[in-house]
Amino acid sequence: MSQSKGKVVVIGSGPIRIGQGIEFDYCSVHCVWALRAAGYEAIIVNNNPETVSTDFDTSNRLYFEPLTVEDVFNILDRENPDGVIVQFGGQTAINLAKPLNEAGYTILGSSCESIDLAEDRDRFEKMLTELGIPKPAGRAVVTAKQALVVAEEIKYPVLVRPSYVLGGRAMEIVYTREDLERYMDYAVDVSPKSPILIDKYILGKEAEVDVISDGVDCLLPGIMEHIERAGVHSGDSMAVYPPQTLSQKAIDEIVHTATQVAIRLEVRGLMNIQYVVDTATDTAQVLEVNPRASRTVPYLSKITGIPMVQVATNIMLGQSLKDQGFSSGLYPTPGSISVKAPVFSFMKLNQVDIGLGPEMKSTGEIMGMDTNYPRALYKAMIASGIDVPSGGSLLATIADADKAEAVEIIREFSHIGFTIYATEGTARYLRTHGVTAESVKKINQGEGNIVDLIRSKKIDLIINTLSTNKRIEREGSLIRRAAVEVNVPCLTSLDTARALLTALSAKQEGTEFALATVDEYLNYQPI
Amino acid sequence: MPRDPNIKRVMVIGSGPIIIGQAAEFDYAGAQACRALREEGVYVILINSNPATIMTDTEMADRVYIEPLNVEFAERVIAKERPDGLLATLGGQTGLNLATLLAEAGILEKYNVRLLGTPLASIRQAEDREEFRTLMRELGEPVPESWIVTDESDIQPAIDSNIWPLIVRPAYTLGGTGGGIALNEKQLREITKRGLALSMRHQVMIERYLMGWKEVEYEVMRDANDTAITVCNMENFDPMGVHTGDSIVVAPSQTLSDKEYQMLRTASLKIIRALGIEGGCNVQLALSPFSFDYYVIEVNPRVSRSSALASKATGYPIARVSAKIATGLHLDEIENAVTKKTLSCFEPALDYCVVKFPRWPFDKFRSADRTISTQMKATGEVMAIDRSFESAFMKAIRSCEIGIYGLSNKSTQQLSDIQLEEAIRVPNDERVWAITEAFRRGMMIEEVYALSYIDRWFLRKLQGLVGLETRLKLNGTAISRMIESGDQHIILEIPSNREDFEKTDNAEKSQNGLSQHHLAIRLIREAKRVGFADRTVAEFAGVPEMKFRTLRKSLGIVPTYKMVDTCAAEFEAATPYFYSCYDSENEF
Repeated sequence: MSQSKGKVVVIGSGPIRIGQGIEFDYCSVHCVWALRAAGYEAIIVNNNPETVSTDFDTSNRLYFEPLTVEDVFNILDRENPDGVIVQFGGQTAINLAKPLNEAGYTILGSSCESIDLAEDRDRFEKMLTELGIPKPAGRAVVTAKQALVVAEEIKYPVLVRPSYVLGGRAMEIVYTREDLERYMDYAVDVSPKSPILIDKYILGKEAEVDVISDGVDCLLPGIMEHIERAGVHSGDSMAVYPPQTLSQKAIDEIVHTATQVAIRLEVRGLMNIQYVVDTATDTAQVLEVNPRASRTVPYLSKITGIPMVQVATNIMLGQSLKDQGFSSGLYPTPGSISVKAPVFSFMKLNQVDIGLGPEMKSTGEIMGMDTNYPRALYKAMIASGIDVPSGGSLLATIADADKAEAVEIIREFSHIGFTIYATEGTARYLRTHGVTAESVKKINQGEGNIVDLIRSKKIDLIINTLSTNKRIEREGSLIRRAAVEVNVPCLTSLDTARALLTALSAKQEGTEFALATVDEYLNYQPI
Repeated sequence: MPRDPNIKRVMVIGSGPIIIGQAAEFDYAGAQACRALREEGVYVILINSNPATIMTDTEMADRVYIEPLNVEFAERVIAKERPDGLLATLGGQTGLNLATLLAEAGILEKYNVRLLGTPLASIRQAEDREEFRTLMRELGEPVPESWIVTDESDIQPAIDSNIWPLIVRPAYTLGGTGGGIALNEKQLREITKRGLALSMRHQVMIERYLMGWKEVEYEVMRDANDTAITVCNMENFDPMGVHTGDSIVVAPSQTLSDKEYQMLRTASLKIIRALGIEGGCNVQLALSPFSFDYYVIEVNPRVSRSSALASKATGYPIARVSAKIATGLHLDEIENAVTKKTLSCFEPALDYCVVKFPRWPFDKFRSADRTISTQMKATGEVMAIDRSFESAFMKAIRSCEIGIYGLSNKSTQQLSDIQLEEAIRVPNDERVWAITEAFRRGMMIEEVYALSYIDRWFLRKLQGLVGLETRLKLNGTAISRMIESGDQHIILEIPSNREDFEKTDNAEKSQNGLSQHHLAIRLIREAKRVGFADRTVAEFAGVPEMKFRTLRKSLGIVPTYKMVDTCAAEFEAATPYFYSCYDSENEF
C-alpha cells in the first residue's frame, strides 16, 4: 500500500430501518470503489451483515464495529487516516460530523460548518432569506402556547414536527387549534430537549433534486416530481423522472435556487433539496435541505447514467466537475421515463395504520422504466406489488374535504367498467353527481357491513381518504386494516388513485410494454 | 469436475424491493454471485425491480434489466436474451417463487433454460410441507407432529396422539391472531373452534408445542459431487416461538455440548444430501433443553438472511461459492477468497463470538403491536464480533442506533414488577432490558428462566453484566475523582498484572496513587473487556464522555484489533476484516 495516495475512512449507514434503507449502502460501496479507483486506500466502518459494504473484498479494510463516536474514534486513532467521509452513510454518518470535527479529524467534502448551516433551522432560514429564496412561513417553538400563537399567525393547516428528524418522525398536518393542542402535549413528550417546528402547510406538488457541487459548478442530474401532493412523506410518495406536470418556470426556479443554496453552503459533493411548488402561485419553495447523499441517488444514477457517488467522491479528493467532464446546470433528460414507487410491509405489522402522511412508513422502493409515463407508472405499480385490477369492484370511502375532487376520479373508474361501492355519505354524493354507486353498511350496522364486504374478497380496489373527524377515522383505520389482511390495494391518496387510472390507460391502450436494459433506456430517443 | 462449458449465458433473478423478511442480504448475495459467475467467463443477465442495489449496476452484469419481477417480464427477458441457465436461489423467496412459476408455466422448457444449482424437485421437496415430512420420515429425522384441521371434527387424531401441550395456529390471519396453546382436550377444542372462525380459509394447524426448546441453525453447503460441509452453526438467544429474524442470534452456538453439536450437524448434512441441494442451504432445528431430543423445523433450499449472517460471521462467502457450484465446480476446486490459500471444502473455524441483534421499526410505528413471535417484524439487523458473548452483545446493542447504549432502557425501568415479569414472559423488542432490569431488582436466574426459557447460560452472562454495572455505578465517584485529580500520570505505567507492577520501581513512588485508584482502574479495564460503552461509564461517573475517553486512553486501556480470517489464524488471510476487543495482542 506504499504507493497509495492516502487513506480514507468511509462511515457506513448501519442497520436497515424505515427512513434509512439500502440506498445508503449503495452509496457507501460506490464511494469505496471510487476511492480505490482514484488510488486511495479505502477503509469502511459498518455493522450491517446484510450488505455489500461489509463484504470482505469491497474495501481495503473493513471494521465490523458500532457506528458510535467511541468505536469510530478508536478506529481513527489506530488508522490515522487522511480524511473521513460522512456524506454517504445517511443520517448515521452525518451525525458523526460534529464530534469528528471537534476532535480535529479531517472531514472530506462539505465541511461540518456547511452541514450545520443546512441542518440548523434558524441559521438555514436566515440564509434563505438573505438569498431571497421562498420557503413556507413558519417558526420553531419551545412551548405549546407559542405554538398556538404561531399557528394563528401563519394560519391553519400547519405542518408540525420536532427539529432534527429522520424520516419524518412524529410529523403531522394539523388543521385545527384542538388538534395542535393535542399534538403539542404529545410531541413535547417525544423530544423534550428539541424545539417543535411549525410551518404553513402548502398545497402543491412536491419535487426534489440532488446537486453535485465542487464549490464553483453545480450539476443537477435530475429533478424528481412527486406524484402524491405535499403532505405525503417523500419516501412514501411515488415519484417520476423527468417531471411530468411542473411548469418550466418552476423547473427554472428549482435549478436556480438549488444552485444558489449549494454555492452558499459551500457544498463539496452531494446535497439534496426538497421543494413544494405552490399550486396557487406556481412558485418553488424550499422545504428542506439534506447536506448529504439522499435516497434518490441510486435511482438518478441509473436513470441518467451519471455515476453520482463517484463524481462526488472525486470532488472530495480535489477534482472539479469540469475535470470530470461535467458542467453546471440541469443535465439533459433521456428519452425514457422512470417512476419510483414505495413498497410497504404492512402485512407483517398489525395495528399499524396504512394511511399515508408526513411520517414515513415504507420499507423499500422499486422503479418502473418505460418509454412513456402511463406505461412506466403501470410497471412501477405492479413491481411494487399492487395487483393492478383492470376491472371489478371499487369501494370508495371519501372524506368530506376530498369528495368534490374524488367524483371525477371515481367516475372514470366507473367508465372503464368498475362497479362502485361506497359508504352512505360518499354514495349519496356520487349519485347526486351522476355516478352510480351502491351504498354499503357501516361497521356498526351489523352483518354484511363494509369490513365483512372486504373480508369476503368481493372488492378489488379501495380508495379511502383520511378524515380529520376522529370518529370517522376510527372506522377508516379498520377498513384499511381489513384491506391489508385480504391483500386488496387500498389507496389513501387521490393522487395515487389518479395515477392508477393513468396506469390502467396504458394497459388498455394495448401496445406492448418496453423491455430494455438500463443502458438501452439511457440511450432511448423518442421518435 | 471442472466448470460446465455448456453454461455460457446465465440469468440471475434479484429479490426486488426491501420488505420485512427480505432486506439487503439479497443484494449482497446477488452481487457476489454475479461477480463469481463472470470470473468463470459467464455472460450474466440480471433482472431486478430494485435499482437501489449494487447488483443492478451495469458493472455487475452484462445485461441489467430493471423490470417488474413477474412471469410476463421474466419470460420476455428469457425470449430476448436466450440464457442457457437460470440461477434462482439467490433472490430470496421472490426469486425462487418466480423461477418455480417459470418452470411450471413451461417457459424454461420452451426456451431450453436449465435451472442451475439446486434442482426444482429439491426445492419443492424442501418447501412443500407434506413432501418434506415424508422425506424426513424416510431419513428417520424427527419432525414435530402436526395436523391440518379444517373442521372441528378433524381434531381427534391430535387428541389421540396424547401430545401436550399443542399449539394451534389459524392459517392466513395476521400475526397468528386467534391461536393459542392447549394443555388438554377441552382447551384444544375451544381454541380450535375460535381459530377456525378467525381464519379466512377456515383452517388451523395444530402442532406439538416446543416451548422452551433451543432453536439452532446450521448453514450447510453441498456440491454435485456430494461433498458437504458445515459453514457455521448459530444459536438463537430466544427459544422456539420467536422468528429467527426477530431473534438475537449467536454464532457459533454457545450452550450446546459437543455431542449435541455433532448430532445436529450430522442431521443437517444428512438432510442436504438427501435433498440433493447444490449450493447453500439453511437447516433450522429445535433442541430439547432437557434431553438429546431434537426436531427438524424447516429447511431453506437457498441463500437466505441467515446465510448472509453466516458468511459475515465466518468470512466464508456462501453466495459466491453457491454460484461457483452452479457452474459445475466442486467445493475442492473453489478457492477460499479470504485466505487465497485454502479451498472451499475447508470448514471455517471461529476464534471469536458473533452476536446478531434485530432492528425493529417500533420507533416509527408507535401504535404497532410490539410483541414478537413467529411473524417477523424487524426491518434490519446488526452484527457485532468480539472475544466473548458479553462484549459482542454490548456492541450489538449500541450498533442498533435506538438510543440505548447498554443495559438500561428508560421504559423498562418504569415498569412495575408485575409488568416486568410480563415483559419477560411475552417476547417483545425490549425483553433483554426487561431481563437486565429484573436482575437489577434482585430477581434470580431461575425466576427469569421460568418466565422466558432463555438458556441459563445467557441469563448468567446478563446477570454478570448487571453485577458489573452495579459496581461501576458504586465506583462512579472514584472514577470522576481520578479525572478531576488529573494524577493519572502516576499510574500510567501500571501493567494489568498487579504482581508485575509491584516489582517495578515506579510502584514505590506511586504507592499512594495505586491504593487510591487501582480498584477503579481494574474495574474500568474489566468493564471495557466485557463491552461497556465509554458513554455508560462516563454517565455513572457524571463526567463528559470525552473526558472519560481521555482518562481511559491515558491508562493505556485501548482496544486491539483482531482479524476474521475463516481459519482461526491457521493460515494468513489476504482480504481480512477486523473487530475490536480489549485484549492484549493486535493481529494487525
